[in-house]
Amino acid sequence: MEDVAIVGVGCTGFRPITPEFSYKEIMFEAATRAYADANVNPRKDIDAFITCGEDYWDGHSIFDEFVPDQLGAVLKPLFTVSADGLIGLATAYMLIRTGQFNTVMVEAHSKASDILTFTDIVAFGLDPIFNRPLGGHPYYIAGLEMTRFLHETGTTKEQCAHVVVKNRKNALANACAAYGADLTLEDVLQSEPMFYPLNRLDTSPLADGCIVLVLASNHVAKKLTDTPVWVRGVGWNSDTSWLESREWGRAIYAELAANMAYKMAGIKNPPKEIQFAEVDDLFSYKELQHLEALKLCGRGEAGKLTEEGITQRDGQMPVNVSGGALGMGYAPEVLGLQRVLEAALQLRGQAGRRQLCDVETGLAQSWRGIPTATGAVAVLSREVK
Amino acid sequence: MSIEKISDPRQVRHWPGHMEADYIYTHGIAGERFFKEIKENGRITGTRCKHCNLVYVPPRIYCERCFEKLEEWIDVGTKGTIQTFTVAYVDIDGSKLKQPTTYAMIKINGTNGGLLHKIGEANLKDVKIGMQVEAVFKPKEEREGSVNDIKHFKPVK
Ligand SMILES: [Zn+2]
Repeated sequence: MEDVAIVGVGCTGFRPITPEFSYKEIMFEAATRAYADANVNPRKDIDAFITCGEDYWDGHSIFDEFVPDQLGAVLKPLFTVSADGLIGLATAYMLIRTGQFNTVMVEAHSKASDILTFTDIVAFGLDPIFNRPLGGHPYYIAGLEMTRFLHETGTTKEQCAHVVVKNRKNALANACAAYGADLTLEDVLQSEPMFYPLNRLDTSPLADGCIVLVLASNHVAKKLTDTPVWVRGVGWNSDTSWLESREWGRAIYAELAANMAYKMAGIKNPPKEIQFAEVDDLFSYKELQHLEALKLCGRGEAGKLTEEGITQRDGQMPVNVSGGALGMGYAPEVLGLQRVLEAALQLRGQAGRRQLCDVETGLAQSWRGIPTATGAVAVLSREVK
Repeated sequence: MSIEKISDPRQVRHWPGHMEADYIYTHGIAGERFFKEIKENGRITGTRCKHCNLVYVPPRIYCERCFEKLEEWIDVGTKGTIQTFTVAYVDIDGSKLKQPTTYAMIKINGTNGGLLHKIGEANLKDVKIGMQVEAVFKPKEEREGSVNDIKHFKPVK
């Protein structure tokens, strides 16, 4: 089986609103950039197309039927994965590994600003019989999880606030980030209490944008680019959908997704072999919970390491140099590709002002948001093995 | 750079869309029996997997660990332990709640499951992980076979 590399990236956004483009035009723009970056013509050179999304986000029943034209995919093999973009990446990886496809595109987009009733849609994702009748803003689920995580690990609200300050500051150096800001710990801790212990600034604001990646098999990748980014391992996992059966303190889905990706990539000692990570930070505490789940530090250590600056851009284990979802914005189903995009740019040496020195291997991880317990992980490298 | 940015595209030219999405959800075999017990007897029930020795609340007719069919029903009592909690200050439309709502995941004692519910008849500052609470049912004539037949959980005196 041939190894698989990312050979092209394209991004549009991320912005709080995108009044001039329809969601299809957002996709067209990102795809055009990705194809130019990979130096491919989608009508000739791309064998299969994968889009990631969900009807309710686009406000369009069977929206997956409405994606071929703006991607150059008309009359070509295409399907939509109803999941975060990182699971789309894993699917593209598998398609290429079959040997039947040499070049595959993966796409995820959000035009969240079209949604007038975002929280109602999230609430509609709760169990209709046991959970939904209680009513209320569905983000209270994040408050429940944060309380338990802080309790089990001894992590503090201040440590979570450090994540927000770091990521929104990192976003200032990222032109694709919607929410770069120079905040203080007090700004975060004194922002409006929403779902104790979660404050408003602990949550990622919504954003519009699209990311398109082009992946290729080894022999094609080497023809297309001098800077392929190799997909060394992928993993994904879902915990039970029953909130009543979950552990609440741990992100077990991320632990198992990481185990799968690490095994595939031959990673034995993650903190030593991985130089930087892009992890899900939809809520501040999730970055810490996920770092522990990914075994990039021990349980209960992530808050302390963050406080000490280890996860800063100039620290020993930079985390979310892109700004994360807190800084780039919450684009539903695009979060995983936001993380992959940054990892790819860093590994290519094209991250501009936020470029890290001498990075060989990075990790990207996603979570699908409230109320899911689904996550995915990819290990990416400059070298094949 | 400002922290909050304008995020309302309704100022630009657009076509309004409305997605009608009304459903009825039948409770299923497990839900039917669970809510009948609550409505008629004020009892919380679960199903047990004898292979895994797990008690499911809410009950299910299958075990998610070994995939066996579950047929053993048990009365699990009405008391539980707060596994985690939160206080919501904001309503679903983003407006500030006049009265904050305390939600908790209540592990029903002696089971591996629980119920997501509200905490009532308690001082906010006393609510903590590990606190013992019990279900407060609505009067029988007001019960309609819903999770809201339980008004809330209150601290065990
Ligand atoms: Zn079982």
